[in-house]
Amino acid sequence: MSTDQASTDQSSTSRLAEAPAKPPPPSRPTDGRPRVRLGARGRQQERVFWLSVTPWLLGFLGLTLYPLGYALWLSLTDSDGISPNTHFIGLDNYKELLSDPVTRDTLVRTGIFVAAVVPTGIIAGLALAVLINRPIRGRGIYRTLLYLPAVFPPVGAAMAFKMVFDRDTGAANGILGFLGGSPVTWLADPYARYVLLMLTLWGCGNAMIISLAGLQDMPKELLEAARIDGANSWQTFRRIILPLLSPVIFFQVITGVIGALQSIMPMLLAANPSPAAVTSVPQGNYLYMINVFAQYLANGRFGYASALLWVLFAVILVVTALIFRLSSGAVFYNFEPETNK
Amino acid sequence: MILARRTGLYLVLIALVALFVSPFGWLVVTAFKDNSEMAAYPVHWLPEKWQFGNFSKALTFFNYLGYARNSLIIATIYSVLITLSSAWAGFGFARMAARGKRLVFGVLLSTMMMPAMITLIPTYIIFARLGMIDTYWPWVLWGLAGAPYLIFLFRQFFAHMPRELEEAAIVDGCGYGRIFWRIFLPQSWPVLATSMLLSFTWVWGDYIAPSLLLSTDHTTLAVAVATQYVNESNQAPINNLMAAGSVLYILPVLLLFFVLQRGFVTGVSTSGLK
Repeated sequence: MSTDQASTDQSSTSRLAEAPAKPPPPSRPTDGRPRVRLGARGRQQERVFWLSVTPWLLGFLGLTLYPLGYALWLSLTDSDGISPNTHFIGLDNYKELLSDPVTRDTLVRTGIFVAAVVPTGIIAGLALAVLINRPIRGRGIYRTLLYLPAVFPPVGAAMAFKMVFDRDTGAANGILGFLGGSPVTWLADPYARYVLLMLTLWGCGNAMIISLAGLQDMPKELLEAARIDGANSWQTFRRIILPLLSPVIFFQVITGVIGALQSIMPMLLAANPSPAAVTSVPQGNYLYMINVFAQYLANGRFGYASALLWVLFAVILVVTALIFRLSSGAVFYNFEPETNK
Repeated sequence: MILARRTGLYLVLIALVALFVSPFGWLVVTAFKDNSEMAAYPVHWLPEKWQFGNFSKALTFFNYLGYARNSLIIATIYSVLITLSSAWAGFGFARMAARGKRLVFGVLLSTMMMPAMITLIPTYIIFARLGMIDTYWPWVLWGLAGAPYLIFLFRQFFAHMPRELEEAAIVDGCGYGRIFWRIFLPQSWPVLATSMLLSFTWVWGDYIAPSLLLSTDHTTLAVAVATQYVNESNQAPINNLMAAGSVLYILPVLLLFFVLQRGFVTGVSTSGLK
């Protein structure tokens, strides 16, 4: 992803840099930095640029960077967020969380959740995209209806699933009863995790839309050439479509992992998401993030929760770095940046 | 043979659509049942008597409209501010040449990767110190700061605008501020709509920020719907009213989506690709 974005950025920057002066000779390497001396226009552009990013930069400093540093400091204290006498306790929070079996359990559970949800979501989205990319009448209607769950507000989605999987009044048990089975307590262990999985996969319309855009951007000549060479549809998919789609898939893996690690859906699926309910989320759905909320909301342990969050942040950094590393050979950036057209 | 395959394709599609729509369908059906039908066994697939009254009960069970108004105010303030500030930043990134731009852009993109949760606890403490708990100021500040995702969306769009637009205006003695406001912004209504819709639904759907920063009386509909349909005596959720309230809560987002879905889908897909 980063390579792609960098190249897009570069092309637009260099195009703009040429504006004030005469266009530079084509042989000259452009790396996106203005090489020409800045004229009055150039200085004005610099000023306008900094003016334009000032609100965001101030927000970044005040609402992101400062809280981030604050979170680091908090993680070294026994803060409860309210009482004034907060004590610096060094790495005690980290020592505690490392020795707490709950941390390991929730981390493993969350890992399994991410490993189940991210690939299946992407594959399901891709399959839907391939299906809907065929010449069908009324494509827009199918696309819209399949995408619909992805725009549901999380609370609304959780409510719908709560109703479907309610033990006494839900449709899931209704179908089970119709088939002659006995009712199941879906929202408790061991079934709760499958409900959570289904709820998350229900929103795979987003992945579908992104993959669909990738499919429709595909150079027609290549697909045509493959067809003439006698490739069957699986070969075409495997050898041409999939490699060309790899940056899109890569983007989805990264954002999907970051998103899934932070899922609070188990909380919303609980009967009534309050501090007490956070701790009563079924074991199978007691993910890492739920433990953070339990420590924070129910126990008022701001310092400890901050330490947990920093560990999560470190895990995310390591995982994304690993994904970047592992995918470096598998992701192809063949697309001409759009800005060059 | 071909006909059979085509029919098969449509059957698969229709089955999938039915599967995807069914949870919402069940929510709607549940919203129309009365208490006795809720308790019926085996489950009644469709209510025998449709209880339209459930919806008015859902609206009066607690101060539903008051919470809806809170949601509406916060979401409107936030979406207008964030759209303007993101557009302005996107304009700078797309059209201005400046030293340090690539570095700033790199920082912007990397913040997209950061988990939002990590700043949650300190943000709560900071806003508490500033006396902003239980006010809408946090949403004003967040709105003014813009969102990397939307900035990126606007940057992509503005980068495609013809250079002549700008040149002509400069010859006429227009400053960049006016160029942005009078030329670029009016031209970019598809992105403006996408940005407004996205940011509006973020706030409409957000559960965490309002539940932490606002008191139970001043919170948003998302929090109220999730927490307040509970029977006082046995703490059990009242499912049919909860379903009715949820349907009413989801409806505005669905309507917005249907009205703007073409632009919305394009916006999501272009940003996802780059």
